Amino acid sequence: MFDGLALLAQGVGHFLTPASLFNVVWATLLGLVIGILPGLTATMGVALLVTLTYKMPPDQAILTLMCVYLGAIYGGSRTAILLNIPGTPANAAATLDGYPLARQGRAGLAMGLATTSSTLGTMVGIFFLAIIAPALADFAMEFGSYEFFWLALFGVLISGQMAGSDTPLKGYIAGILGLLVAMVGMEMLHAYQRFTFGVGALGGGIDLIPAMVGAFGFAEILTSMKRRTIAHVASVNDRVIPTFREIFQYWRTIIRSGVIGTFVGIIPGVGEDVGSWSSYAAAKRFSKKPEEFGKGSQEGLIAAETGDNAVVSAAMIPTLTLALPGSAAAAVLIAAMLIHGIRPGPMLMVENPIFLYQVVAMLLLATLANLVFGLSLTKLLIKVLAVPRERLMAVVYVLCVVGSFAITQRMFDVYVMLVFGVVGFILREMRFPMAPLVLGIVLGDLLDINLRRGLLLSDGDISPFFTRPISAVLFAITLLTIVMSMPVVSRRVTGVFRRLVLQDRTG
Amino acid sequence: MEFESGERARARADLLTAIVLIILGLVIFYLSWTMPRLEERHVHPATIPGLLPMILGLALSFCGLLLGLRSWSLEAEGGWQALGRALVGRPARRVGAVVALALFHTLVLVGWLPFWAASMLFIFAFIVLFEVYMTDQPVDLKRSAPWAIAIAIVAGWGISFIFEDIFLVRLP
Repeated sequence: MFDGLALLAQGVGHFLTPASLFNVVWATLLGLVIGILPGLTATMGVALLVTLTYKMPPDQAILTLMCVYLGAIYGGSRTAILLNIPGTPANAAATLDGYPLARQGRAGLAMGLATTSSTLGTMVGIFFLAIIAPALADFAMEFGSYEFFWLALFGVLISGQMAGSDTPLKGYIAGILGLLVAMVGMEMLHAYQRFTFGVGALGGGIDLIPAMVGAFGFAEILTSMKRRTIAHVASVNDRVIPTFREIFQYWRTIIRSGVIGTFVGIIPGVGEDVGSWSSYAAAKRFSKKPEEFGKGSQEGLIAAETGDNAVVSAAMIPTLTLALPGSAAAAVLIAAMLIHGIRPGPMLMVENPIFLYQVVAMLLLATLANLVFGLSLTKLLIKVLAVPRERLMAVVYVLCVVGSFAITQRMFDVYVMLVFGVVGFILREMRFPMAPLVLGIVLGDLLDINLRRGLLLSDGDISPFFTRPISAVLFAITLLTIVMSMPVVSRRVTGVFRRLVLQDRTG
Repeated sequence: MEFESGERARARADLLTAIVLIILGLVIFYLSWTMPRLEERHVHPATIPGLLPMILGLALSFCGLLLGLRSWSLEAEGGWQALGRALVGRPARRVGAVVALALFHTLVLVGWLPFWAASMLFIFAFIVLFEVYMTDQPVDLKRSAPWAIAIAIVAGWGISFIFEDIFLVRLP
């Protein structure tokens, strides 16, 4: 306990230097701008920024990326409130009550509430990150190939199921496609090159960063440019800073949303949007005034913004301790950490224990910067919304080219970006979610190596995958995930629960 | 109404996607099945390189089949016509124009011109095309062009300067 506190103090102290604070300021402002601009997402921002931080020291690079990530998730609430368009997918739930509040002439208050609840959401997530991550890393030391196989499979499946499409099937297909992308190139057990078709550049496999820049950058440009939309920005004439009472009368909602966001963040590949929607739904369910939801409920806005920001911090729990990305942006962070020689996973707490607490410190500094800029630069940040999409997207494409080229300095990676952009756009148009695809690319190697290593250890016997205690539990959860995604089963289970609840109430 | 038409088009597009996925899955299965099993290196049969791709290929085909069945069972009257309209409509043309510009920038201009010059040309062409020609509310070329030139110069030079000189990153 005291060791943890000492490491945390050390982590915070490490970043209290002029250079670090300078990075916090510009990266948070950049993140806010990215979040505010519709069409630019947090994942896209982080993926593009990896290039810019390439030559920085590892701690400063991750600090910068974390500030952009958190800033973008928070910044998206501005657009949700003022334009009724979520700045990032994470802020979709915030439009439901944020925009009606703005139309009632309370845009300033809505932004103040969103800012404060974002900060509180991050704080709840940080609290759980500091508590759960070391324990989980310790527990994960027990994991072998069999357990990691199930974890990787579960990650792709749950992400596919919860990524929010018209059917979980599309999520699963996206996950399988991601896993197949990871199969390209040299496999790690026997050094055999798979699916390279004689193309030398494919020997090393498909890098995550160009693929992400394509799927989240170029595809987003295509989506944005598909139609010209004209939005009307609500005006801000009221006060921005909320009173203590306006926030803390909903303390139950804040804690509940923070915990829900944390839980969603821990589940691999399930991102901020799910955290936000789940928190919003729970707040409506338990609210004393559920009829106000969707018509400008302050509680609804607080729930949505606490939920999505808690996910950001909590997503770091599986990311750092198991190397399973808690969200799509966290997948890019894993790639960035590997570029900078930081190896996330159970060994992180052994090899580099201070890093976990440095991440906690990064999140603390980023959320404080969000709070300060969010409450003070309201009018200035709104001006960003005046930038026409045609002018912005042209520049963003050039950044996509730079972002995909600079890491390995091969034009091949730029072509990868283009292919992933076009394919990603088509898949999105057909409601195939992107998060499972990304998770598949990240977890493909882990799944492959642990399946075959496990089989090698057991001389081809598959029973240890089902009989080892932790493996058996993970297998059961994975199976349950698949079974529950079947409409017939989920309908029946829901029906049984409903009957049980009714019996309980009447009996 | 447009939303419903989009849903109907998507239901039919799902059917086409399902066919592509089934074929792709089977091709991947075949390629994995015929992948060298490295017997000469005494590799254990349970650890052959094609094992997971083989399973994934089958899983893709199976999911494709389920998607196809789902799409087949959905009521989508006029879905094919809606899909056809979506593929040739104005939004599709805008997307096609962005892809064409991006390909021209990346495959032709980059390498032929210095990166900053290629980027300036791309940014200028992009802004003018979408502000003056491919839009419902065209802006006068005399108004759009000066802005496009200014943004192209500032962004083209700025990106090169920030990445190459400040962050020491090499550009294409």
